[in-house]
Amino acid sequence: MADTDSGSRGRRLAFVAIAAAVATAICGCRVSRPRNDHAATQTLYDSMVSDPGTFNPVLVTDSASAVATGDMFESLTRVNPRTTLFEPGLAQSWKFSDGDKTLTFHLRHDVKWSDGAPFTARDVLFTMRVIYDPKIPNSMVSAMMIDGKPIAVSAPDDYTVVARLPRPFAPILSSMQFAILPAHALAGAYEAGRFNRIWGIDTPPDRLIGLGAFLMTRYVPAQLIAYRRNPDYWMRDEHGAPLPRLKGEVHLIVPDQNAQYLQFQSGMTDVYHPRPEEVWPLEQAAKRLDITVRKVGIDTGSLFFAFNRNPRHYVRGGVVDPRLKWFTDVNFMRALAHAVDKQGMIDLCYRGLAVPAVSDVSPENKIYHNPNLKDYDYDLEEAAQILDRAGYRMIRPGVRGDPEGHPLVFRLTTNTGVPVRDQMCAIFKQDLQQLGITVNYRPLDFITLVKALDSSFDWDCVLIGFTGTIEPNDASDFLRSSGNLHIWDPAQPKPATPWEAQIDHLMDEGTMVVDPYKRAPYYWQIQQILHDQLPIIETVRAVTYIAYRNTLENYYPTVWGFYHPEWIEFRAQ
Amino acid sequence: MLRFLTRRIAIMIPLIIGITFISFAAMSLIPGNFVANLALDPRISPRVLKQMEAEFGLDQPLMLRYARWLWGIAHLRLGVSLAYRVDVIHLIGPRVLNTVILALSSMALTWLLAIPIGIIVAVRQNSMLDRTLSFLSFLGMSVPAFFLAFLAIDFALWSGWFPIGQTMSPDYASLDLWSRIADRADHLILPTLVLGLAGVASLMRLMRSQILEIKNADYVRTARAKGLPESTVLYKHVLRNALNPFVTMAGYSLADLLGGAALVESVMNLQGLGLLLLNAVMKRDVPLVMGSVLMGTVLLLLGNLLADMALVAVDPRVNFTTLETQ
Repeated sequence: MADTDSGSRGRRLAFVAIAAAVATAICGCRVSRPRNDHAATQTLYDSMVSDPGTFNPVLVTDSASAVATGDMFESLTRVNPRTTLFEPGLAQSWKFSDGDKTLTFHLRHDVKWSDGAPFTARDVLFTMRVIYDPKIPNSMVSAMMIDGKPIAVSAPDDYTVVARLPRPFAPILSSMQFAILPAHALAGAYEAGRFNRIWGIDTPPDRLIGLGAFLMTRYVPAQLIAYRRNPDYWMRDEHGAPLPRLKGEVHLIVPDQNAQYLQFQSGMTDVYHPRPEEVWPLEQAAKRLDITVRKVGIDTGSLFFAFNRNPRHYVRGGVVDPRLKWFTDVNFMRALAHAVDKQGMIDLCYRGLAVPAVSDVSPENKIYHNPNLKDYDYDLEEAAQILDRAGYRMIRPGVRGDPEGHPLVFRLTTNTGVPVRDQMCAIFKQDLQQLGITVNYRPLDFITLVKALDSSFDWDCVLIGFTGTIEPNDASDFLRSSGNLHIWDPAQPKPATPWEAQIDHLMDEGTMVVDPYKRAPYYWQIQQILHDQLPIIETVRAVTYIAYRNTLENYYPTVWGFYHPEWIEFRAQ
Repeated sequence: MLRFLTRRIAIMIPLIIGITFISFAAMSLIPGNFVANLALDPRISPRVLKQMEAEFGLDQPLMLRYARWLWGIAHLRLGVSLAYRVDVIHLIGPRVLNTVILALSSMALTWLLAIPIGIIVAVRQNSMLDRTLSFLSFLGMSVPAFFLAFLAIDFALWSGWFPIGQTMSPDYASLDLWSRIADRADHLILPTLVLGLAGVASLMRLMRSQILEIKNADYVRTARAKGLPESTVLYKHVLRNALNPFVTMAGYSLADLLGGAALVESVMNLQGLGLLLLNAVMKRDVPLVMGSVLMGTVLLLLGNLLADMALVAVDPRVNFTTLETQ
């Protein structure tokens, strides 16, 4: 008896001991080491939402990979984000000659790859060969085809590259903005047919040969990517001191935006892109957190309602669906344009931090944005009058019909997972309800939506956004009637309407003029045509903000990227 | 035992083929494939999309693609992820480690709390202590884990005592071994509490009802009649028998380890398997999804097998012959 008694007491003691041990272990685990001082180490911490897919700049198709490789590689030209004009990059100068049909680049002599090899014209030629290789699918090649033909390049010497064009082609400077690859390091793998697997995310960072401002030192999947400054970087500041000024960069990989927000507040990261609802709280806390909240600019993309005008979907067995007639009727579309409550969307969905969008080109695209368009005011009465005059009358209380008596009913969709788009669709649906138009709203997951848009064509109205670039010809697949992203009626064998034919013509003409200021009117006219014909109805553009530590200097973010990122540094303390 | 093992492993193979085929077919039947992710990018022409489809073999018929995948598995190759262009194992590996560490620690916490509490409330049935602990445990069960995770992160930000998310510090690579372990543990405390506390309630209730049921069994009465002290009766006779269902449960939870914490992982930014898998499904990255499915299947089957074998070890009434005839 005594035996078992002491046994159970022993066990009880053991239990207490284990509990105590666990408790001390938990408390003891608090690591007390000096807080990682970003300013003292001149290392900038920011966050990105997902892991990169590749470190091979030619194979990049996602934004995370573009961020991961962006600082390691460079291109011949770069864009000044303040003027949106081209500046020298790896090419110190360039010249058009021969009636704008020859473009000569003079390369820098003082650029070295991170393994010590010099950067030469051979690298440029190699990179272009890779991009044009049909076995290497990439996102650069379509911008580098002129009328379906590749650009012929040659290198008369190590530091000169000559591009010969079949005709004057203004977008060429933008097309030549691809990251240059090191021929000496990759040619062997390319010849062996292994290019698509080279420089994947399992490559040790020291095997990535770059020439940009920063070189990768470490990639921990799902955790972070770290960089150190490239000591041999070619750029110097006005006093001849080497650039970049930061000693390192770390991108933390943080998929959840709430977590990013908290990490910025706790000082783990130095930079944060707040959502509209976070701007005001951050401004309130700016003093306490020692941060600056600054407006960056207006979204460069375009978010619009598109209406299906595709006869391949609406004409079945000789019968024309009435919806095709509505959506191709400019009066119907004008009425709908007057029913888009942009201010309501701005106030409700963006907390006031957005501006109405009038043109498909963002006002941030300073040269190519047409400032003369007059927006369709939100005015349901005017919309109703337009509909009445065009024969779309109320057939029952709350139900409007077309001139043939079909009630006005159509479907609206967008991609799931973006709350703002959900709310905007709800606002549009409610306003149309007041006009007697019934909208059946159902969001679809992204890939299902893409399939509806590009192959089954089974959709009526969609709220969808495209990202924007400075070069207007990049939107060619969207604007041209033959384009695959000509969303309202893609890949037409020949233009379905006179105004689409005119857009095609203007797109052709616009590429012939090299001077951006002389080129702009062609694209202004295209914006005017879209605004008048309304195959799409523009909605709003978010105003983006950034929050960053006050210790950061020379920090000038713009919607097109950083102005002089090489000058960014932490203030000496 | 050898016969039992060979039989069970032989049954696993058709099971794995069946489960993976159904998942593979389901992934292929949803409209769109991986390449459709890129279709709205104006820089990528339809010709390039076609080339990518051919490169990844997405234009092949379903059966052929599945057969190819299976052939790779037979050679221990999980295939190459479409989105990341590296072997699937390279993506799953580090995340599985994070998830398993978290799941094991939270499981340990759950069990360490649930079993003693279960015993206490069973012994003191209907006392104030029983009522209080039961109330608290139900409270824990009814608060969703992800909400608890939000609270925990907010607490970390407010108090400054704990790191905010992540599984390690950015300077982890420059630490020595002990600091690394401490750093990992530091990042593990809050997620472990969040996940562990959520599981306490159900386990504790199970423990309580088990003990209450056995407490009045004939052999317990016999033990008491022999004059054994109550503690010996409780720990040697009641507890040992009450633990049997927990052995089986442990086997099942081996598979839960991989996917069970996805929401908490997302909120607390723990870089586990859950988010990777969710994104892979949304992007139709078939090899990556299949790699995770296969891993989950194998773990579930192995867990069951191990649980059965452990049951033989702890329960003298069960042996391999009875298991086989079941």
